[in-house]
Amino acid sequence: MSLGTQHDGHGGDVREDTDTVAAVADRVRGAIETVIEGKPDVLRIALTVLLAEGHLLIEDVPGVGKTMLAKALGRAVDCSVQRVQFTPDLLPSDITGVSVYHQDRNEFEFNPGPVFANIVLGDEINRASPKTQSALLECMAERQVSVDGRTRALERPFMVVATQNPGDMEGTYALPEAQRDRFMARVSVGYPSPQAELDMIDSHGSRSPLENLASVTNAAEIRDLIERVQRVHVAPGMRRYVVDLVNATRTAPELKLGASPRATLHLVRAARAHAALEGRHYVVPDDVQTLAVPILAHRLLPGPEAQMERLTAEQIVAKLVARLPVPAPR
Amino acid sequence: MPLATLVTMWSALPLLGGLIRGDQWWVPAAVLMTVAALASALYRWWLRDSLAVPFLQSFAVLLLYTPLFAPQTAVVGIFPTLDTLDHTLALFEQGVHTIDTNAPPVSPTPGLGMIIALVFVVFLMTADFLAVTARCPGMVGGLLLALMLVPLVVDEAGLGWGRAAICAFGFLALLAVDMWVRGREWGVPIPSGHGPESRAGAVFGRVGIAAASSVLAITLALLLPLSMPSLSSDAVFTKAENTQFGSNGSVTTTHPMVSLRRDLTSASDRTVLTYRTDEENPEYLRTFVLDEFDGEDWTMTPVHAGRDNNADEALPLPAGREGEPPEEEIVTTRVSMDSDTVPMDFLPLPYPARSVEIAGDWYVDESTLMVFTTEAPPSGYNFVVRSARNRPSAQTLALAGSPRSLTDDQLHLPRELDARVQELTDSLVEGTETDYERALALQNFFTDGDFTYDLNPPPVPENADPLTHFLFEDRIGYCQQYASAMAVMARQAGIPARVAVGYTSGRPSGDDRWTVSVRDAHAWPELYFEGSGWMRFEPTPADPNSGQGSASPPDYGSGSTEPPDDEGSEPEPSPTSEAGDSPREPSPDPEDDESAPEEGPAAAGTDEISSSDGASPVWAPIVGIGIAVSALMATPALGRMFLRWSRRSTMAAGGATAAHAAWRELHDTCLDLGMSWDLAESPRATAKRLASLSVADGGEPTEVARGALWRLALAEENARYAPEPQGGQELGGDLDAAQRALLAAASPGRRSRALLLPPSLAPWRRSRTESKPLPTVF
Repeated sequence: MSLGTQHDGHGGDVREDTDTVAAVADRVRGAIETVIEGKPDVLRIALTVLLAEGHLLIEDVPGVGKTMLAKALGRAVDCSVQRVQFTPDLLPSDITGVSVYHQDRNEFEFNPGPVFANIVLGDEINRASPKTQSALLECMAERQVSVDGRTRALERPFMVVATQNPGDMEGTYALPEAQRDRFMARVSVGYPSPQAELDMIDSHGSRSPLENLASVTNAAEIRDLIERVQRVHVAPGMRRYVVDLVNATRTAPELKLGASPRATLHLVRAARAHAALEGRHYVVPDDVQTLAVPILAHRLLPGPEAQMERLTAEQIVAKLVARLPVPAPR
Repeated sequence: MPLATLVTMWSALPLLGGLIRGDQWWVPAAVLMTVAALASALYRWWLRDSLAVPFLQSFAVLLLYTPLFAPQTAVVGIFPTLDTLDHTLALFEQGVHTIDTNAPPVSPTPGLGMIIALVFVVFLMTADFLAVTARCPGMVGGLLLALMLVPLVVDEAGLGWGRAAICAFGFLALLAVDMWVRGREWGVPIPSGHGPESRAGAVFGRVGIAAASSVLAITLALLLPLSMPSLSSDAVFTKAENTQFGSNGSVTTTHPMVSLRRDLTSASDRTVLTYRTDEENPEYLRTFVLDEFDGEDWTMTPVHAGRDNNADEALPLPAGREGEPPEEEIVTTRVSMDSDTVPMDFLPLPYPARSVEIAGDWYVDESTLMVFTTEAPPSGYNFVVRSARNRPSAQTLALAGSPRSLTDDQLHLPRELDARVQELTDSLVEGTETDYERALALQNFFTDGDFTYDLNPPPVPENADPLTHFLFEDRIGYCQQYASAMAVMARQAGIPARVAVGYTSGRPSGDDRWTVSVRDAHAWPELYFEGSGWMRFEPTPADPNSGQGSASPPDYGSGSTEPPDDEGSEPEPSPTSEAGDSPREPSPDPEDDESAPEEGPAAAGTDEISSSDGASPVWAPIVGIGIAVSALMATPALGRMFLRWSRRSTMAAGGATAAHAAWRELHDTCLDLGMSWDLAESPRATAKRLASLSVADGGEPTEVARGALWRLALAEENARYAPEPQGGQELGGDLDAAQRALLAAASPGRRSRALLLPPSLAPWRRSRTESKPLPTVF
């Protein structure tokens, strides 16, 4: 039986792999949940993106815990976390690093910027100038930095968690769609429930719970998990399903701009990670359906009709998902 | 797919092979179909679109049509001109004429070829639309069925099984290609994890379903008619006796003898028609002429309706008469059919009719002057018929020469006729000199009393020839037997003869009016005399008690071989008074009044007897119908039960197929219970929704059911999407629990509908998404 999977020989191993992934992910999730309460969906997406080697865009109003989420993630995974606060006067070299001339040694020395870390937190990315934004986005796409003609690889895992305020806020340069496309997923944290907010008063009242957050895994283990995630099986029907879904965004009359082929790749990778997070060694439609909105919605531009009907991209994607038949044997 | 459709339509071409001679007629059809299919295939392959396909096909066919069928009218050999249109019309006319006038197999003419080619191209375009654009290749079967019906209806030889098999093979090939294309759209099929044996189990299940449903269908088709005892009662039986005339599909009607008997034995004396005429002794009204004797029955040569034999002008000259009869010989009869009568498609006309004024399309048969229609005739129509008098003097008849001008063979008799009949005829005509004397001798043989008139003659024993039985054994019968026997014997005596069926002149009802009722239905022989044409004779007794009450022997047949000369000149009043004394007497009023009541009870009595003979016990049909209805009602439930059973057996095999079978069963249960099933929903989502449904509606403790649903969903998910589906879990119990929970959640009405009329069996109830977000073009 040829199923066209690249890991046929590892049938048993894949199952083990996914169990490991699920166990580690549970630990990380448990750790983060001591800091961010009542947001399991956002957390799961964040972990999915981490394991799928993508970048996460968190878009929400100020003060709902965007930064906290990124920080908690970095802390729970024992790896380097760098934070860049984007401001209008931030320069590209402030991100990538600069070469400084040492007079005594008579040579240039490279001072690596904050991008040389496992998790880079780009705070309020839409406040920086487009030039600076694109510097970060280049690093995101190529996972390397070129300064003064030398190319330096970034560490693995490398994940940019960028936060931005919703579009029409003062002093912001909204990310153009071409750059939004480089983020694997966009989530919004949303306001906590009243109960979670009450609990928050207790836990955050005296000092930050972040300090109590002990790391439960490390970068090496995450790299290993990423390897394992790539072996998750995607049935031919499922591939077709993903392609159909992405295609649907291109042909949907409500949308001015559909999702890119990169979106297809991101969706498959994220679906693999999502399946592994649940301890499954194969992707099911539920994975794709859960991830469709966070992964596709921010790449789409609703057309004028959709705007007239006040349909957001998220709603359109959800509609498409609800209409597309799941792959089933005839 | 377009090419598969082409192959299918190609395979339908041989269906017509039996109807057309030669081996070239199919070429234009095949060429045009190929072009149309290629246009469709190329366009679809190139543009991945199907919108313009029919137009493109029409254009391609048009382009090729001219060089194929009308090359001489084309510009540069391709482009059609106005002449092409004329040529096409002429060809079409020719083709229609070929079809109309010839019995199959017909010789191929260009017109016929064109009609066949165009019909097939239209069929191909329809098939292409159905199979490729609409993705319903099964519907193409309807087109093939229509083609298959053509030889079945037209040709008595029917359809050879080889041709039917080729056509069926083409259809199956189309279905197979469609399955293959659909399968390819989903990529590699997900195999079962259990190797050949579970696959064999699944195949067995599928074959079993197919076999069982076909067996069920065939059994029902065979048993259902048997369980209806009432079907053999009189009404249907006579219908079943109907012979179809006009094997070319031109004219079909009930066998005249059957309707004759039905009329004669009918309980009521309904009026069939009334007519007005100034003639004192109107002719019989003849409906049919039976001019072929097959040893047992007289039948009608098939008549044809066409443009060349319209009845709206003067009718053809009757055989044996020279020239148009003078104006004073013409009798005008205004007939109005009773609106309660079953509409006749053959007109009752006095012979020989010269013209008929009637609305609608009516045709005339040249040799018999029968006037008929091919459409459903209206009930209660009126018409005016002008006919010539047909009362030559006995002398004229006696002087008639040999039948020279008769083209058809009206002396033909089958060889295997009993020799005693010939002997009898010879003995009867011994010593006669002319045909006329022989005819009289034969007529006298029947009227001279040895025969008994009875509308319900004792049944002819099996293996006995009805003719010899009537002549030599019982000598009991009614006009049908009399007329048939005399016509046969006349042929033996060398006089061309045939049997006419219709009505006697009826009874006068004052003021030139005559009324003809159903019991005036009659059959009589017509004998041919050169110079006078077909002459009516009357072997049936004209006695109201023991004979056809309203029958009247013609003057020339009254036996007076030396009639006065002036009898031949009919318009004079004296012969009519003489005719009043002749045996036509029974028709006048007093006797008519007597005969009617007397005939009434007699006929009613016989009718009672026949109905008590034919009727089965009252309960039998009721029980039969009851059984049939309940069997019919139980069919869906049985089908569903069988499906359930076969899925259960598949599930026992384990593996991915087991999970699929369980999931499909759950799907069907949901449909049966009227719950929605969304194809865009993953198995998990479905299970969750169903679990919440059963909680909401039933309120039962459904933890078990929820777990069962969840396990079913996971098994299905695993079977669908896992690289190596694992099987082995026992899903039967889970399925039971899930189904119980769903049943509990449904309303009682839904439950009984699920049992009796499971909607899951209806293909149109299969769940589907509201609309496909992307057009699937492959």
